[in-house]
Amino acid sequence: MKLNLHDIFFAYDRDYIIQNINCSFASGNFYSILGPNGSGKTTLLDLISGFLNPGNGHIDIDETPVLSLSKKEISKKISLVSQDYAINFPFRVKDVVMMGRHPYIPRFSQPCGSDVEKVDKMMQTCGIYHLSDRKINELSGGERQRCVFARALCQDTPVLLLDEAFSNMDINHTLQMLGLVKRSVKEKNTLVISVFHDLNLASSWSDELLMLKKGKIKAFGNSQDVLTQQTIKEVFNVVSIVEFNEHAQAKQVYYPSI
Amino acid sequence: MSTLVNILKGKTRYLVVLFSLFLVLMILISLSMGYIHIPMLDIISILYGKISGNLHILENTNETYLTVIFDVRLPRILTCAIVGAALAVSGGLFQGILLNPLADPYTLGVSAGAAFGACIAILLNLSAAFVSVPAFAFTGACTTLFLVMFLSYSSKNPSLSLSSNNLILSGIIVAAILSAGISFLKFIANEQVSVIIFWLMGSFASKTWTDFFAVLIFLMIGLFISMFFARDLNLISLGAKSATSLGVDLKKVTIILLVTGSMLAAICVSVSGIIGFVGLLVPHTVRFITGPDNRKLLPISMLAGAFLLLFADTITRAVLPHEIPIGVLTALTGGPVFCWIFKKNRFK
Repeated sequence: MKLNLHDIFFAYDRDYIIQNINCSFASGNFYSILGPNGSGKTTLLDLISGFLNPGNGHIDIDETPVLSLSKKEISKKISLVSQDYAINFPFRVKDVVMMGRHPYIPRFSQPCGSDVEKVDKMMQTCGIYHLSDRKINELSGGERQRCVFARALCQDTPVLLLDEAFSNMDINHTLQMLGLVKRSVKEKNTLVISVFHDLNLASSWSDELLMLKKGKIKAFGNSQDVLTQQTIKEVFNVVSIVEFNEHAQAKQVYYPSI
Repeated sequence: MSTLVNILKGKTRYLVVLFSLFLVLMILISLSMGYIHIPMLDIISILYGKISGNLHILENTNETYLTVIFDVRLPRILTCAIVGAALAVSGGLFQGILLNPLADPYTLGVSAGAAFGACIAILLNLSAAFVSVPAFAFTGACTTLFLVMFLSYSSKNPSLSLSSNNLILSGIIVAAILSAGISFLKFIANEQVSVIIFWLMGSFASKTWTDFFAVLIFLMIGLFISMFFARDLNLISLGAKSATSLGVDLKKVTIILLVTGSMLAAICVSVSGIIGFVGLLVPHTVRFITGPDNRKLLPISMLAGAFLLLFADTITRAVLPHEIPIGVLTALTGGPVFCWIFKKNRFK
């Protein structure tokens, strides 16, 4: 599976949020998107998932333009853990996770045995099985995020988009979820694109990094190559020290005290 | 119909049976009550005779009873029940689409549009033709709906158009303009003002079989469409982005369900005037029993709505010394009940 972005431009109003993006993502890799606030990270994910239409250019998934597919067909290929995990009605956790099976359940029918099995297994994997009968709006932010995570994984798609999916999780659950995602990338040959704010987590977990600033790609490539003091200064306007850390087996960023 | 039964499972099926029994019982009780009391046994045997086509039974019964039941009470009772059902389904749909448990069938100004249309018909004295008041009301409701959808839609920015905030705001604006228009029409109406006021308060007096079948057709189509998209409606509550990523064509589903809900409300208003609170209270209360799943919520709300409105109409028709407009009664009794349910469940 391959995702190709050709000449992507996007503007809500007059100013371009995304400008001239050309890149491709291949399955079997974990990609991270990094960039300052308002650099267009979420917008880029929205364009890939087909939620927004690019003003110019096209996005192809295995040579087929995403926009030529129906929403249902897209939902069998691309799943998304978005930041809007507020849910307006008091659904139970297991109902929310079951919603991930929506693209596969025909109209007017109940989920079949394998759907229920898959949902139960995913709730156990994500450590929310004990919450399955609780109402979603009574849970904490981190718990709710794990429910949404489980829902996206139940969608069983070759492409998974994560929009700051770990922002409310504690470090234990963050590492657990990252491990889960990383395993599916390597074992099931899936494609993960994740928006991160933590440069160190991004560096130690992902294969490739994409640095975004003002809607343009500043750097894209192997984590080791992209993460340098110079790019961090350029993109984030922050002085840093970048060193290879043996424990993390990856480059890590330190911020010297002023 | 079997597909509709199929999606209801376990507890929901029992609830459907239970509420249907309540409703049938209420219809029988309501048939027996009124200016002329008809014994329950006679009612059952008359209905049985009619349904089974056994004319022998019908010949032996009191002629007056037959007229009262089939020409007076049954059309009114069934129209009332079906309007209650349609208003409740419509309310459930609006609460789902607008992501707001306090939305009702009139949130988008459908009632104001219908009322404005009806006022014009009454003022121009078209009421002599009788059909024209409901027809004008229906036209007014539809025009309002499309105006509100036009205001909250933008082809330039499709992800933001038809959002719940946009719809509610446009609905309020249009409704405000229309109510000022209604006030103006009342002001220039002179002696017809009382006709307008009575129409606005709603009534089921002298409803006919035509009224019943008109609403029935709308409700059948509306219910089928709602159940077809019930799971999508559940997903909409996850937010636009998540719903889209799960395969919901948000714009299409929103438009279809908005039109469905508004058509249901429009036909109800045209037939019986503005009856508040049923569309707000019923789905909101039923949600405490069934949970937020629209596949359960909508059919149970439909039955509960029919029961509740028929209960209210029976009280105003047969119990109270003078008939109070049904719209006033539902708001006067439904309001306090709603306050109680709200306070009790909101802070549990």
